[in-house]
Amino acid sequence: MLKRVVAEAAANLLASRQRSALALLGIVIGAAAVIAMLNVGAIARNETIRQFRQLGTDILTLRADGNMGLGHFQLSDLEALPLELLAVREVAPFVIGGGSAQHEGQVAHSSQLGITAAFAQVTRMRMREGRFISDYDRFELYAVVGAGLARQLSTPYAPIRVGSPLRIGRYVFTVIGVAEPMLHSPMMPVDIDSTLFVSIPNVRRIMFNPSLSMAILRMQPDADAEVVVGQLQRHLGPKLRDQRLSVQSARQLIAGMQNQMQLFTLLLGAVGAIALALGGVGVMNIMLVSIAERRREIGVRLAIGAQPGDIRTLFLAEAVLLSVTGGVLGIFLGIAGAWGFAWLSGWEFVISPTAAPLGAGVSVAVGIFFGFYPAVMASRLDPIEALRAE
Amino acid sequence: MLELVDIGRSYRVGPGEMHILRHLSLTVAAGELVSIMGGSGSGKTTLMNIIGLLDKPTSGQYRIDGQDVLKAEARELSRLRNRLIGFVFQSFFLLPRLNAWRNVALPLMYRGTPEAEARSRAIAMLERVGLGERTEHMPAMLSGGQKQRVAIARALVGEPRVILADEPTGALDPKVSQEIMDLFLALKREYGVLILIITHDPGVAAQCERQVVLANGVLTEVVPAC
Repeated sequence: MLKRVVAEAAANLLASRQRSALALLGIVIGAAAVIAMLNVGAIARNETIRQFRQLGTDILTLRADGNMGLGHFQLSDLEALPLELLAVREVAPFVIGGGSAQHEGQVAHSSQLGITAAFAQVTRMRMREGRFISDYDRFELYAVVGAGLARQLSTPYAPIRVGSPLRIGRYVFTVIGVAEPMLHSPMMPVDIDSTLFVSIPNVRRIMFNPSLSMAILRMQPDADAEVVVGQLQRHLGPKLRDQRLSVQSARQLIAGMQNQMQLFTLLLGAVGAIALALGGVGVMNIMLVSIAERRREIGVRLAIGAQPGDIRTLFLAEAVLLSVTGGVLGIFLGIAGAWGFAWLSGWEFVISPTAAPLGAGVSVAVGIFFGFYPAVMASRLDPIEALRAE
Repeated sequence: MLELVDIGRSYRVGPGEMHILRHLSLTVAAGELVSIMGGSGSGKTTLMNIIGLLDKPTSGQYRIDGQDVLKAEARELSRLRNRLIGFVFQSFFLLPRLNAWRNVALPLMYRGTPEAEARSRAIAMLERVGLGERTEHMPAMLSGGQKQRVAIARALVGEPRVILADEPTGALDPKVSQEIMDLFLALKREYGVLILIITHDPGVAAQCERQVVLANGVLTEVVPAC
């Protein structure tokens, strides 16, 4: 019975191929839009999680703001924090700047950070070779480079490795370590991967007017970020005098990003839903045209003894078949679209487990919804009227 | 046996009423071949719709085999149509996307007959009307006479009590018309089915054992000349 209904619906759709194809296209695009959008949302969410996984969520960044531009911390104030505040596990103050470095004729502009040894621990940097800057290096002309920067500065004959000379300004530094590749963290003002690191005392040699304006801090695992932020404000605030202290927590940032992401997903979903609704209108249109054309056939069927329900099933089957086919094709197109997005943005591609069934399910529901009215209309035709139709 | 008693059918037109049929009575026994003649506007189509259970009269009684069919509601009516009446139309009205046997099997399908049985019965009926070799043909590949034979097979396959033919030869040339009339006569004898032919062709009417004329909403029996 079901098989016959489906076969008949398929035959009817194939009989007006061009029209069916156009209605199908509408549904395919609609379903693909919903699926692609939901999947892009999942990709973006996954990316955020990935970014924070490296640094963890028990991270705070501190910044001193002066009246004009960045402010200035006292190194000793920051380094005393783990001793003075129980909730602070470790702190890594840094000076931020930028400039060019030269190696074997390769020149690369990059951000440059003046750091203490704690920086590698707080940011969980790992070295591919060599070691990180230690607190004993002080004025030694040692530099550590991120993986991305090392690639930029390498030549086929002279890759950056431990011992490579780097000319920065009027000084020649020696590379003592190359970091492993790292994802850019939203918590850091710079991309660690393409940054050059020197000790804080060396900063004066390569930057004009450097200031120790930032720090990254790891809390104790059980600490409440909001409480710690309050403590820091109370503790550091007076020491900064007329400068302002701003503290950002990873959790705060994640919450903000999640809000944004939700809005983003909702927006994309709405776009997809509109596309799908338009596809549904297309299905309704083709069904109405098809019914108008086949009035006499409906009349004959009714005269021969079809129940109104039989006529309804006949046309509903066509609408459902169209939207199921559209939904299935939409899954492929939608996932392909999401993959294209991931490829363009350089983000990791993931398939959302809910997107495909949800998108396909919604498209079938749309087909039934928009197919129902024409089908009911067809089943209510008066056989006398229908038979008279030309 | 078909019994129409005092049938009236009127339509409301604006403030007044238009009487298409009035006090119309007709009794036809099983196995009779009756022609109903009438000019255009005489109410032929309305009468056919009433006999075919597609329309209900405003007054009167209608019984098939003693069963009062006017009491039935919509669902029951389509069931009665399916079981009691076979339609043959002037322009055949075959479904263009179904092949010959599927067209014939349609009334059985709507009755819930399993496909295999419906198919064998449809093919047997096509053989009976002389189209045994064309069971898989699509309607577009058949001539007018062949299409009408398929339509007659479709009308007969469900073993109805009444065959209702509306101008069955109206779209056919004289030679093919005669073949169709011969087929009706043969089927009547063979199946004992009651056949009503609505026509305006005196030549067709002349071949029926009973002829009635519809004029001004009233039926008049024509006494055979011989």
